[in-house]
Amino acid sequence: MARSPSFILPIPEGRESPSQDLSPYDENVVHDSFHQLIQEQSQRVEADSLELQERPPRDKGRGSQSLRGPQEYCSATLQILANMPSRTIGRSRGAIISQYYNQTVRLRRKNSRPLLREMSRSAQPSIRQYDLELDLTPREEEEKRSLLVKELQGLTITQRNHMLRDMPLSLTEKRCLRQDSCIHRGRQRYHQGSQTQLYCCSHLKYHCIIAFRSLWYGILSGLHALKPWRCHLKQISGQFGSSVLSYFLFLKTLVSFNVLLLSLLLPFIVAVQVAFPPTSEFPSPHSQGLELFTGAGRFTHTVMYYGYYSNFTLNQPCSSHQNSDHCPPRAVHLPYNMPLAYLFTIGISFFITCITLVYSMSRSFGKSYQVGSTLGVHAITVFCSWDYRVTQRWASLQHDNIRTQLKELLAEWQLKQHPRSVCGRLRQMTVLLLVWLLSLGSALGCAIAVYSFSEFMHENREIRTQSEKLQEASLLALPLIVCIINLVVPYLYNVLASWEQHDSPVLEVYVAICRNLILKMVILGLLCYHWMGRKVRSLEDQCWETFVGQELYRFMVMDFIFTLVDTLFGELVWRLITERLKRDRKPEFDVARNVLELIYGQTLTWLGVLFSPLLPAIQLLKLLFLFYIKKISLMANCQAPRKPWRASHMTTIFITLLCFPSFLGAAIFLSYAIWQVRPSRTCGPFRTLNTMYEAGKVWIRHLEEASPSVTWFTWIHQYLVENTFFIFLVSAVLLAVIYFNIQVVKGQRKVICLLKEQISNEGEDKIFLINKLHSLYEKRATTS
Amino acid sequence: MGQCVRHPMSWEELEEYQALTFLTRNEILCIHDTFCKLCPRGKYYKEATLTMDQISSLPALRVNPFRDRICRVFSHDDVFSFEDVLGMASVFSAQACPSLKIEYAFRIYADINENGFIDEDDLKCIIQRLLNTTNVGDELLNNLTKHILGESDMDNDHMLSFSEFEHAMSKSPDFMNSFRINCWDL
Repeated sequence: MARSPSFILPIPEGRESPSQDLSPYDENVVHDSFHQLIQEQSQRVEADSLELQERPPRDKGRGSQSLRGPQEYCSATLQILANMPSRTIGRSRGAIISQYYNQTVRLRRKNSRPLLREMSRSAQPSIRQYDLELDLTPREEEEKRSLLVKELQGLTITQRNHMLRDMPLSLTEKRCLRQDSCIHRGRQRYHQGSQTQLYCCSHLKYHCIIAFRSLWYGILSGLHALKPWRCHLKQISGQFGSSVLSYFLFLKTLVSFNVLLLSLLLPFIVAVQVAFPPTSEFPSPHSQGLELFTGAGRFTHTVMYYGYYSNFTLNQPCSSHQNSDHCPPRAVHLPYNMPLAYLFTIGISFFITCITLVYSMSRSFGKSYQVGSTLGVHAITVFCSWDYRVTQRWASLQHDNIRTQLKELLAEWQLKQHPRSVCGRLRQMTVLLLVWLLSLGSALGCAIAVYSFSEFMHENREIRTQSEKLQEASLLALPLIVCIINLVVPYLYNVLASWEQHDSPVLEVYVAICRNLILKMVILGLLCYHWMGRKVRSLEDQCWETFVGQELYRFMVMDFIFTLVDTLFGELVWRLITERLKRDRKPEFDVARNVLELIYGQTLTWLGVLFSPLLPAIQLLKLLFLFYIKKISLMANCQAPRKPWRASHMTTIFITLLCFPSFLGAAIFLSYAIWQVRPSRTCGPFRTLNTMYEAGKVWIRHLEEASPSVTWFTWIHQYLVENTFFIFLVSAVLLAVIYFNIQVVKGQRKVICLLKEQISNEGEDKIFLINKLHSLYEKRATTS
Repeated sequence: MGQCVRHPMSWEELEEYQALTFLTRNEILCIHDTFCKLCPRGKYYKEATLTMDQISSLPALRVNPFRDRICRVFSHDDVFSFEDVLGMASVFSAQACPSLKIEYAFRIYADINENGFIDEDDLKCIIQRLLNTTNVGDELLNNLTKHILGESDMDNDHMLSFSEFEHAMSKSPDFMNSFRINCWDL
């Protein structure tokens, strides 16, 4: 990246340097000597008419500039070098105090209106105006401190506390600064408000403010303590690091999404229907004892499924044409249009989930990817790879992890320098192609297997004349097959992945995630077709929506059972086996596979929420159980993963996967179900309509008839929602904004390149000047 | 290891510490407990000091390869007062601002010659500590050092100044996640 001239910059002193007068506090001495030197030199130039040396010609390598070793510099040069601003940043107290003085001044100036005399200088800001450090009148540290205290008094209490908190000084010094700035203020107030009446009032106000602040700190601490699973997460991060922690944090995120869904569904749909139960038109089927697994039987005609919900307005005030027998006395007459509420609640909850997902995705993306951050991987590896939270016995594993990471980096560089031969690359390409073909082929094979099995079950569902129990158990066959495929095939992919040799191990993780995702999405897509296509057609006179809801319930329960089985066999039994074989390696916690399982479960929930409004509650229970089970298994059986892991990048990827294939797919499925499919005639809130969406249209027509003044609403509906032109317009605006942002980022990249070049030029100038300074001092020393 | 006088912290002091550090009330009280357990018998916690060895042997720092540097940076005159420990915990807490963490990270890593820069010797020492061995291949060390300086050293002086370090770390979101210590229990 840099064309580096070959020089070594010497470096001066630290505390062990021989010359003790090199403290950065002796700035006046330095400034004096520098000033003197310049005067002498200018006199000498006039006296001797010294010819200016020609600057050495700039050749390609610029190797003419070189610095001597530190011991060759005279003390005066070293003294000046010690006081260069770049060396005092972050080191001396004086520099810190003056840096924060400047910040405080800027903050105070931001708060108050700018003075007029400063406006005229704004065209050409001078450094002297802004930086105390370069001020030619050198100040002592005490003076700087008193200036800082004076500036701190001008701030509000909150700003002062923030400023003090951010200062890299010791706590004792911060307390002194705070006390000094408070005392002055207290004295001022005392001088100003000397009348006793005024003093009493301000005393009272002071106590009120103190009380309020204590309350606020108490609330903050309380909120912090309320965060769920805080202790568990601390324990996990201490033992296993941030990679395994990201799985549990993702689980927490999913819990919050489900709570969000439930908080809308429960009060607006479920609670209302529970308060006004419909008259049961169907006899409840006999319970076969398998309800917890199949969701059928006694659960069929309950609030759990779509079929239970009424299709009329609840709690309507008795109108004249209704039979007086059906008119129970009610306390409050608030009509509640159930079909409309059902449609709107589901729509709004999905909309809010979408906005939350996109927001969290963009925030996580902004945190982990910055302009130009793909460079600089190695500095980050060295400085950020040690996780300071790791406190337990896995510290040695962290050392090993870092060693592996660094070795892999080294291998990567070597590969870049000596790329593989054409033969090697061709071989690699064929292996890659073969493995991809195999994995895609296996995904296709599984899809065909699921398709034919579902067709077989569909054809043979009525043929069975055996016991009802067996018939109900046969409903579990399809979920069982799908779960077995989801369990076994990823292990197969792991085996296939061991054949290919990727250049970077991070790519391996991405590829594994990709393959697993393709498998799951293909199977889910097939199942959606099976339900929307075949089942709708065959169950037209029955309640197909309840059936689809029950299917999704079964899939969720099976998924949970198989996750338990996987945890038990994958981790516990494996650990027992390795202990028996006396090998040191415990099973690893495979974060990517577990996260994909979580995403799969959440997709099932989103697919089923229209047909079973209580499904998010079941998913919530499942996630809560899963947290504790996974944590117990992790602590007892596993070790931290050895693969390299950029926790922030992976979190972004997980949220993106949750948004794009998972949520988008569920939203498309739901939109299709709402807009295109005919609801069943015998059950549910939409039984008399052609599509579910018609409920909204019916309501708008009622509104129109009821009050003609609301025509603007129907106008909006007609021209904005149903007309496609508006959507095209919005898309065009969005594309324009995206294009603009891309251009801005490109421009910023160019500016960064230019600035980097400028910095490297400045560095060379600095070396040149230091050499010149040294030669001048040397000349002076030899002549005097 | 005796217990110092169990003087509970006064309300005003607790509030002042909360205002001046990034720690929550529970964390401050937890550190107070730990400090009291470690300091010598009979001494008031505000006057007691702990040695660098005692702080290095806390579970939070015991396995850290940079614990001696951390103790050096945060102590005054080679001992830790209670406020020094609080200051250290504040910098490592989850809520601390990035500029503070980067500042102290630089002081911790700019190590051997204490010249205010991270030069090649410092980098080699850091890598050796990360790998917990001095027996690291020269090739690995030199290559790594060359690459790090090539990426982050912008003014070509073969050292990382504070600004260059700050620039490199502010681009990395992993820095904030890794430079964190949660639990100061004994």
